[in-house]
Amino acid sequence: MNFIKRGFLGITRKKGKSLILLAVIFILGNLISGAFSIQQATGNVESSIKERLGTAATVEMDHEKINALSEEELGVMEFEDIGVDLIKQIGELSYVKYFDYSMSTYLGSESIESYQGEGMEDEVAMTGPSMDYRLKGINYAPVIDFEEQKGKLVDGRVFTQEEVDNGTSVAIISKKLADKNNLHVGDTFTLTNAVYTYDEETGEEELATSRDVVLEIIGLFEPQSIKEDQGESSDGGMFDWMDIEYQNTVYVPNAIIASENKYNMEEYMKTDAEFAAAMEGEEQTFEYYTPLFVLNNREDSEAFEEEVTPLLPEFYTVINASDQYDSIAGPIESMSNLSKYVLIAAVIATVLITGLVVLLFLRDRKRELGIYLSLGERRGRVVGQILIEVMVVAVIGITLSLFSGNLLAGQVSDTLMKADSNMSDEGVMYYSEIQQTNLTTEDVLDSYEVNLNSSYILGFYGIGLLTILISTVIPLIYIVRLNPKKILM
Amino acid sequence: MILEAKDLNYYYQDGEQRRYILKDTSVSFEKGKFYAILGQSGSGKTTLLSLLSALDSPQSGTVSFNEEDIKKIGYEKYRRNNVGIIFQSYNLIPTFTAVENVLVPMSITENEIPEDSKTVAYNLLDFIGIGKSKADRFVNKLSGGEQQRVAIARALATNVELILADEPTGNLDEEMEQEIIDIFKKLAHEHEKCVIVVTHSNEIALQSDQAFHLRKGVLSSYE
Ligand SMILES: Nc1ncnc2c1ncn2[C@@H]1O[C@H](COP(=O)(O)OP(=O)(O)OP(=O)(O)O)[C@@H](O)[C@H]1O
Ligand SMILES: [Mg+2]
Repeated sequence: MNFIKRGFLGITRKKGKSLILLAVIFILGNLISGAFSIQQATGNVESSIKERLGTAATVEMDHEKINALSEEELGVMEFEDIGVDLIKQIGELSYVKYFDYSMSTYLGSESIESYQGEGMEDEVAMTGPSMDYRLKGINYAPVIDFEEQKGKLVDGRVFTQEEVDNGTSVAIISKKLADKNNLHVGDTFTLTNAVYTYDEETGEEELATSRDVVLEIIGLFEPQSIKEDQGESSDGGMFDWMDIEYQNTVYVPNAIIASENKYNMEEYMKTDAEFAAAMEGEEQTFEYYTPLFVLNNREDSEAFEEEVTPLLPEFYTVINASDQYDSIAGPIESMSNLSKYVLIAAVIATVLITGLVVLLFLRDRKRELGIYLSLGERRGRVVGQILIEVMVVAVIGITLSLFSGNLLAGQVSDTLMKADSNMSDEGVMYYSEIQQTNLTTEDVLDSYEVNLNSSYILGFYGIGLLTILISTVIPLIYIVRLNPKKILM
Repeated sequence: MILEAKDLNYYYQDGEQRRYILKDTSVSFEKGKFYAILGQSGSGKTTLLSLLSALDSPQSGTVSFNEEDIKKIGYEKYRRNNVGIIFQSYNLIPTFTAVENVLVPMSITENEIPEDSKTVAYNLLDFIGIGKSKADRFVNKLSGGEQQRVAIARALATNVELILADEPTGNLDEEMEQEIIDIFKKLAHEHEKCVIVVTHSNEIALQSDQAFHLRKGVLSSYE
């Protein structure tokens, strides 16, 4: 008849009380487990979406801040550039896995045909000057887009640092573009850097001069589509457009773009004396780089932002790829907040209510507890007996609510999300150097799933049992303070 | 000398004043004897017993068990290993059967308990007049006299030499009282226990080996 056996007898011999306690724990447990299920599910969405958004960061003009300026202020404002030195300084930070800075420009071609999407081969009816090819400058020779799985090298090789440093005329183009023009690794192709004049009166553009840009193909890439499996989705049009843009991208060393920009600018000034006069005396630079930093860990992005911000000139800001999450995750965020408050409230309610119920039951059994103490039982063991009685019932109640609360959470969050997603505006699209993803609120909701995984089960047992344990503190203090003489004599 | 109280003082603070219940009380008890302590209601009999059974402590003075201060033994330890207490209101656990009630102290004490404690418990109950069928009953389905026997069996379960009882026959009729007295006499005289009974009953006082009278905080012996 030791305290463990007494604990179990305490449960079975007082079935009514045990059932009441079980009911209380089960009901409150459902609240906790429901809220915790939703917490877990929203947390999973956040990490999986942020995973998909990647760990890239960049430094950009802070458009919000600039838009807030008045016209007058804008007139006199001189915006500093982000120099290569600063980019390199930021790139040296420990959070950065690798970094690149890039310029890009659009060129046309007379000798090759651009990729226009599948099944649109026949409709090539382009008129006027076309600028179909996006030249993307590279400083990081292995190409970050490939390292980050935006594209995949399928033939040939990436750049060498020498080629990048010297600005050698080499390029990596898409497999589709190469196939369409029957090009292979080792072949050369020609783009045209055309300079147009613009007649302000007629609005007509006229070719002033042009020069050929001859590039040797060293590698072919294919896009790694994140949406391949999705078939026909509502935002397919956008996706196609982004795909075409990427298929017609030509990776080249930055120096090539700098030199083509310079040529274009100089030739243009020859045709527009007014403009040339305005530019007179200004220091000429053709290097406006967009930096891209890929961080080691997603968790680093805040620390990275904190460290980089003071280094930046005014009106620049750090943008993390995962920043986009906040703009597409509205319904999830509100559900996450709601469930957090419900969870906290449920835990507090459980501590109070269970504590009170146990205390009331113990007061009823004051005499029994006094008897144990009068027989010389250690107070620790009397406490242990009560803990066993409560915790055995708690484990049963929590196990039951583990499943039912999870089920409940699935139902509740379905309803909540339906209501919420109807209100939120769909498909906020972003397109910038790092945010070339077309994840939408819909994707976020799709990846939301309430399920019974081991981390939920362990977490809920942890929270549930700990809550019940805390709720027994006051009843146990009551035991420790019992005076057997007063009870029994 | 199995139990000795020396210069016990016990008082309640009544405003500025101390109201003494026990004043420099000294007394000693021996094995193999059956003692009775009498006194008017409110004279402090229960208080004295609570000090002897280590359920309370005096403001000054000592209680020694086999020449050792029970404070040194440790109150809890003394209660679980050295003394059996019987209360006026039985104080059995109502959700347990008679035999389960007897088994409780056996699992608490550090005294040697025979392997088959259940058999020992049944035998004890049998010795005290509770047969097998009653032993398996929940105690709230037993009569007052039967319950008090179970309480006596519980006090004996840990095989202690010292039995303290606070008005054990207070709720019983004369016939029942006599049976309980007989048990106490048997325990003292045949089993070498020291039995100390606090009571109003003259019958117990008459049949005891030695009777004390508690009055105004002072304990004196009848002779
Ligand atoms: N908590 C307390 N505060 C103040 N006085 C108390 C307290 N408890 C008991 N007393 C007093 O102590 C005195 C002794 O009480 P005790 O219970 O020892 O008497 P008793 O001899 O056992 O009486 P009875 O024969 O009625 O059982 C009584 O006068 C009682 O009023
Ligand atoms: Mg009394």
